[in-house]
Amino acid sequence: MNLRFLRYFGLCAPLLMLGGCSTDVFRLFHPTGPVADAEYRYTLILVGVMMLIILPTLALTIIFPLRYRKARKAAYAPDWSHSLGIEIAAWGVPFLITAVLIYYSFNGIYAVNPYNPKILDSAASTATAPLKVDVISTDWQWLFIYPDQHIATIDDLVVPAGRRVDLRLTSTSVMNAFYIPQVAAMMDAMPAMYTKDAFLVNKPGTFTGFSGEFSGAGFSWMHFATRVVPTADFENWVNQVQASPKQLDYTAFQKLAQPTVNIGAKPSYFSHVAPGLFDKVVQAAMHGVVYNVPDSLTKGVADDEGKAGAKAPAHS
Amino acid sequence: MHVDLQGPWSPLLGRLTLGAIPYTNPILIGTFIFAATIALIVVGTVLYFRKLPYLWREWLTTVDHKKIGVMYILVGLVMLFRGFIDGVMMRTQQVLADGPHSAGYLGAAHGYLPPYHFDQVYSAHGTIMLIFAVTPILAGLGNIIVPLQIGARDMAFPYLNAVSLWLTVAGAALVMVSLFVGDFSNAAWVGLMPLAELPYNPGVGVDYWMWALQIASIGTTFNAINIIVTIVKMRAPGMGWFRLPVFTWTMLSTNIIGLTAFPVLTVALALLGADRYLGTHFFTAGLGGNFMLYIDLFWIWGHPEVYFLMLPAFGVFSEVIPTFSEKPLFGYITMVAATFAIAGIGWSVWAHHFFTMGLAPNSIAFFSAATMLVGIPTGVKAFNWLFTMYRGRLTITTPMLWSITGIVLLLVGGLTGMMLSAPAIDYTVHNSVFVVAHFHCMVLAISAGIFSAVVYWWPKVFGFKLDERNGLAFYWAFVIGSVLVFVPMFGLGLAGETRRLDYLYDPQWMPLLIAEEVGIGFYFLSVLFFLRMLYVSLRDRVPAKGDAWETGRTLEWMTHTPVPFYNFAVTPQVHSRDELAWRRANGLEEAKPDRYVPIHMPSNTGVPVIIGLLAAAFGFGLIWRIWWLSGVSLLAIMVLVIIRSFNKNEGYILTAAEIEAMENKIETASVIAEQPKRLPLSEVEAH
Repeated sequence: MNLRFLRYFGLCAPLLMLGGCSTDVFRLFHPTGPVADAEYRYTLILVGVMMLIILPTLALTIIFPLRYRKARKAAYAPDWSHSLGIEIAAWGVPFLITAVLIYYSFNGIYAVNPYNPKILDSAASTATAPLKVDVISTDWQWLFIYPDQHIATIDDLVVPAGRRVDLRLTSTSVMNAFYIPQVAAMMDAMPAMYTKDAFLVNKPGTFTGFSGEFSGAGFSWMHFATRVVPTADFENWVNQVQASPKQLDYTAFQKLAQPTVNIGAKPSYFSHVAPGLFDKVVQAAMHGVVYNVPDSLTKGVADDEGKAGAKAPAHS
Repeated sequence: MHVDLQGPWSPLLGRLTLGAIPYTNPILIGTFIFAATIALIVVGTVLYFRKLPYLWREWLTTVDHKKIGVMYILVGLVMLFRGFIDGVMMRTQQVLADGPHSAGYLGAAHGYLPPYHFDQVYSAHGTIMLIFAVTPILAGLGNIIVPLQIGARDMAFPYLNAVSLWLTVAGAALVMVSLFVGDFSNAAWVGLMPLAELPYNPGVGVDYWMWALQIASIGTTFNAINIIVTIVKMRAPGMGWFRLPVFTWTMLSTNIIGLTAFPVLTVALALLGADRYLGTHFFTAGLGGNFMLYIDLFWIWGHPEVYFLMLPAFGVFSEVIPTFSEKPLFGYITMVAATFAIAGIGWSVWAHHFFTMGLAPNSIAFFSAATMLVGIPTGVKAFNWLFTMYRGRLTITTPMLWSITGIVLLLVGGLTGMMLSAPAIDYTVHNSVFVVAHFHCMVLAISAGIFSAVVYWWPKVFGFKLDERNGLAFYWAFVIGSVLVFVPMFGLGLAGETRRLDYLYDPQWMPLLIAEEVGIGFYFLSVLFFLRMLYVSLRDRVPAKGDAWETGRTLEWMTHTPVPFYNFAVTPQVHSRDELAWRRANGLEEAKPDRYVPIHMPSNTGVPVIIGLLAAAFGFGLIWRIWWLSGVSLLAIMVLVIIRSFNKNEGYILTAAEIEAMENKIETASVIAEQPKRLPLSEVEAH
């Protein structure tokens, strides 16, 4: 147990007793990078402020019923039902606490605003431009396109340590939510439009990302690896992927976007990604391109699951 | 056919084929046998004791607000059990399907439910618990208690009241039918868009969800109109606005929400229906559609709906705590103000359900602040309840325990709710099970209110109290179960578990999942204790007094127990906010009226239950696209309503002599006693 643990003890003690294991499980207690750090800090501040009112109220909720039981013959005021002082306090104290909470909430909104986190302005070095990654969620995989490197991956997000990452997100079919618990703010990926997200991780590490918004039969297997690697390793990795035999243009993408349950979230890698693919996908969805989920797949997914990586019949 | 459907269609049976009946699924076969057994026992008992005419005359065709209320609550409890079983299935699936090495049974890769089945279960759980369990139970409580608390004979529109009930039952029936004929929606209780659109949900599941919700919510809208009019127009003489009991106040505010919010849902579902049936593009992603519009509309209804459910529970706490503290409610005026503040602010917070959808920071700031403002009146309420207990003379009965537990749950739910209303926190736990645990705290507070109310007002309707010992066992099993299920769920949320997963990625979550499963076991125990409580109480039937708890303060405790079907022999004159407490203090509680006056009572009618049946057939026809069935049912409903509207001399007269006779032999007047047939007004005049 390190010192850090003691700081969080108040929050996670009861959970620990039930969990009976280390705090490693609780991803949100281990924020990584300025955005997640800020989010965690706001969590502690807001919970702390609220405890100022929650704890005394909780205490009264337990003390009053015990103290004023009939059997105890405590003081009894049968007609007392009004006190200006108490009523002013009953409105005033929650008002003050709420005002403080709103103040911190407002600060937090701009500090971690996924579109333009203020916290990253100060944190990121201006020497390197942000790494651009375009994220497309399909039924039911994550496609990460690196437009400047002309490469793409499925279910494997690799970024360099110490460099800000700017994401654009969209979806081919239904809504998903891009979510790496201890790294980046959750952000929805939606068809026919795009949203943005940004994060920065200073030290190398491996994290798991998830989809936060239910999207159908393959949703549970929409987790993806997130690897933060040293800059040099990142360059090597890019070079490797650039040599990948699989290439990705819009035609290949349309095949890939057919409903697929990717059991075990197995990664794939593509080189020579067509420029403007992300925009084309957004445009196509606006023009009504959908990737129908066949009734047979939604119903039969149980039977096919055993054979890993069941593919849907092409259908559109 | 304007839309491309997968699978066959025939004019006679629509999309319905033998394949729609899941006779190969062992879980559903088991469920069917269970349901069929229960149904056989119920039907068999009714037939064996020749109670069918009684059932038809006294219950199915009744327009009595108390009986309608009882039936609302009964339907709600049945659905609560169904929703609970869904919850058990979900918890069991997750504990079995944790980690890549977890085993699979019954054709599933992990756990025992394949995704498609699991997704229906969680969608059904949410829909049922909110719309078909809690809503009917609260509507039932309002039905029973509001007219009694304001000294009225019945609701303002007794016939419409029965229509509301049977429309709700029709919706609930459709949800139940989806178990055995076809599928239920897999797009969550909210109808995730565009997932609920035809390309992603080609089956009938979404249609079941949509039409069940649509039909039931029309019933809820009618009920809202009814309760508002009743409270505004039918208060006993002397009952000014600030003598209204707080439960009635909360029912008024809640039904103002209901009346204004439910039409939004009706419109949203109708537009979705147009998309799915006519091929329009209101909520599709492309071709000019905007699914964010649906999400906005849904939550413009959905968040007020949360307060629609919450406020009656607040009302219950505000009745139970003064009664068992033997003191008036602390800060009555501020309590009423806080109620309406919550109802009002509840309208301007809906976007906090989608902070992660790329809303501009300034808009997010508005909705974050508005959401946090709800904390102020809620805090006021908590303090007022606490200071009602302060210097009181407390009797800790089960209703009181439930109410105090409700306050605690409100504090935990409030804390986590405030956390979620701060976007910086929401970005880390949005759509995780942390959110699920948070709103279950709130719904559990509502349940606490419901159980408190059921135990508290039970004797008023049935004439005897519920067994306290089993009630206590029920309480403790429920509380322990809640702690074991939802505290670990908060933990799993902080561990990054997202909602609605049928397979869990991280094997380290196992200990918490096991704790939840143990909690579910305690919930199971609580169900058994609840049934035992009902059984023991029904067996012993210890008669209760008019003022069953002996410290009642409001009008409903002034009449007999069990309450006569005409409520009050003479409309009471109200002198004080807590009328019964005032009369007790002035030695008037035993006062008898010196003379009786005739009462105009509404007649029973079979029209509402037939409308309910036809509405269910209408929905079933639309779900399976059996156009003739829907057409015929709709036409029949219209014809029935028109015919009924020509009945100008509704109701019958109870004469003063009849009332006096019944008052002297009060068990003959009890709401659950069989009543002799009384001539309707029209026939009396004809004679």
